[in-house]
Amino acid sequence: MTDRLCPLHSYVLIKQVPDQSSKAGVNPDGTIDRAKAKRMLNPFDRYALQAALQTKQYGAVVTAITMGPPPAIEILYEAIAHGVDRAILLSDRRLAASDTLATAYALYKTLLWASQGRSLDLVFCGLQTTDGDTAQVGPQLAERLGIPQITYCESFDLAHGTITAKRVIEGGVQILQTQIPALLTITNSAQRLAYKTLRGAQRVQQLQRDEQTRSQMIHTVTLDDIGADPERCGIKGSPTIVAATEKIGEIGGSCQMFQGKAVSVMVSELLHQVPLTNS
Amino acid sequence: MKRRIWIFAEQVEGELQAIALELLGAGRMLADKLEAHLEAILVGHNISHLAQTLIHYSADCVYVADHPELAQYRTLPYRRVMVDLLSQLPEPPHTILFGSTTTGRDLAPRLAAYLETGLTADCTSLDIGPFEYSNSKDQSKSGVFHDCLYAIRPSFGESLKARILGPWKNPQMATVRPGVMQAVAPDYSRTGTVIPLAVNLQESDRQVQIQEIVRNVTSQVQLSKAEVIVSGGYGLGAPDGFQLIKDLAACFPNSAVGASRKAVDAGWISYAHQVGQTGKTVRPKIYIACGISGAIQHRVGMDKSNTIIAINKDSSAPIFRFAHYGIVGDLYQVIPELIQQMRYSLNSGNRQAA
Repeated sequence: MTDRLCPLHSYVLIKQVPDQSSKAGVNPDGTIDRAKAKRMLNPFDRYALQAALQTKQYGAVVTAITMGPPPAIEILYEAIAHGVDRAILLSDRRLAASDTLATAYALYKTLLWASQGRSLDLVFCGLQTTDGDTAQVGPQLAERLGIPQITYCESFDLAHGTITAKRVIEGGVQILQTQIPALLTITNSAQRLAYKTLRGAQRVQQLQRDEQTRSQMIHTVTLDDIGADPERCGIKGSPTIVAATEKIGEIGGSCQMFQGKAVSVMVSELLHQVPLTNS
Repeated sequence: MKRRIWIFAEQVEGELQAIALELLGAGRMLADKLEAHLEAILVGHNISHLAQTLIHYSADCVYVADHPELAQYRTLPYRRVMVDLLSQLPEPPHTILFGSTTTGRDLAPRLAAYLETGLTADCTSLDIGPFEYSNSKDQSKSGVFHDCLYAIRPSFGESLKARILGPWKNPQMATVRPGVMQAVAPDYSRTGTVIPLAVNLQESDRQVQIQEIVRNVTSQVQLSKAEVIVSGGYGLGAPDGFQLIKDLAACFPNSAVGASRKAVDAGWISYAHQVGQTGKTVRPKIYIACGISGAIQHRVGMDKSNTIIAINKDSSAPIFRFAHYGIVGDLYQVIPELIQQMRYSLNSGNRQAA
């Protein structure tokens, strides 16, 4: 347990991503129409959310933050249903086409705004998103905040302001220790997200009905609200751009298929072609 | 003055990682196109002897930061070495490459944010070329640029390869997937410059301490060095299915068990087994994919395998578009049959030999 009088404050950064298992919104050329695609909470963020909620046992107040178009509020409802105390949606057209550096800047400014009058003790991110797959925003944000980072974090403990975390590395793990504040990016081998709480679900119903309660719990902010420099956001603040895309070639047609026959026959034919027992 | 291409030469416990030599291979091609120096940054403790190896593998110059506090990778001390070295240069390198390892993906974005420069993750191909840009929303960036780094990576859910550029500011940074680039053949007569660096860590760099490092060497060695990999996917339907996968893998002397992201996400097997864009890249002699649909995410991690055998009950699964052999059937019937027939042929083979 912590021995602090004022509560801990944890922040979890989450993102709404296209649901790639759904065929909806996938154009014939392989691109995704984000407006039509089914949306979901980034799967890695489920683990980050669980990690942030775990800090409640140390008395933490948990704030969920997302950046995205207005429908991204859906994942904030989801976070609240799981037990998050407050939520912030950064939504601004000037954020369009932000790369990871610009995104980290905007989230940094949001975090500063969110932690006004509060401490900033722990920041949780998913290891990466499934639409960008970069794993860059977490470390970029930690650099902006000037705090240590523990990436690839699988589990952690908190005692007297000291974080002890297990970090997954190639062929093993590191046990790392640092004082808060710190930023952790959580792997998909971490503790799974618990079920939504009854209280959380009721809260969301109430929020969806009552605008006043909603505005108390979910803050929707623009770049102006958080004092972010628009020149450092969106396309202007992004040092990289996607210059071209090309479809990944299908190799197609070269696969020798065994089908429609008895299993023993197919296996025998395969072994005749590929002498696996010599491997 | 000659431009510079930098690569971060990763070592673990004094052993140079394959990615360091792969980055030199990619860096050599870029440096030749730019007529630039290829320089490696080597950070660790008691690692000076590795500098010559980097030179043999085509580095023109190696900067060595050798210090007890750098023995194991930690973000902030390694960041300090890079930041200090960069601040001593009259102008920044053209390009810096890191491996897409847990180290590279931890350090590179931290450094890119410090430098406020662009970074492209997990590249599978790199090149140098011109670029013309015009954007009505941002006139200041428009223009024709020469000698840009093309950082090429798969863009997921979109079955596309994206070419990412950031020619407005140097260094242009990228992380590169291990196992994709080819190292050059070593030239043991090659000479180069080795420059030792003064290491000046600040108190704030020591904020994170390593309590313990546990290396589970077996599992790592198995996936990257196995000649045969048997992988299970979501089509297994349940975690128990991996027992069958292990049984099949056990039929081969040098084998390992792999998994698709969906199977790992479902909690059926640990992340250490994951093959694909967010897992490991493997190129075994034989890759047997069981109940794996073959999404692009998985494909980029294994499609360089010599022989790919797919077992899937859905004949329209994408895996059959790039596998070499495919059995359409229920893996719970096919795998036991395969194990049985292999055992039979092994036994009869042994009898013949005897």
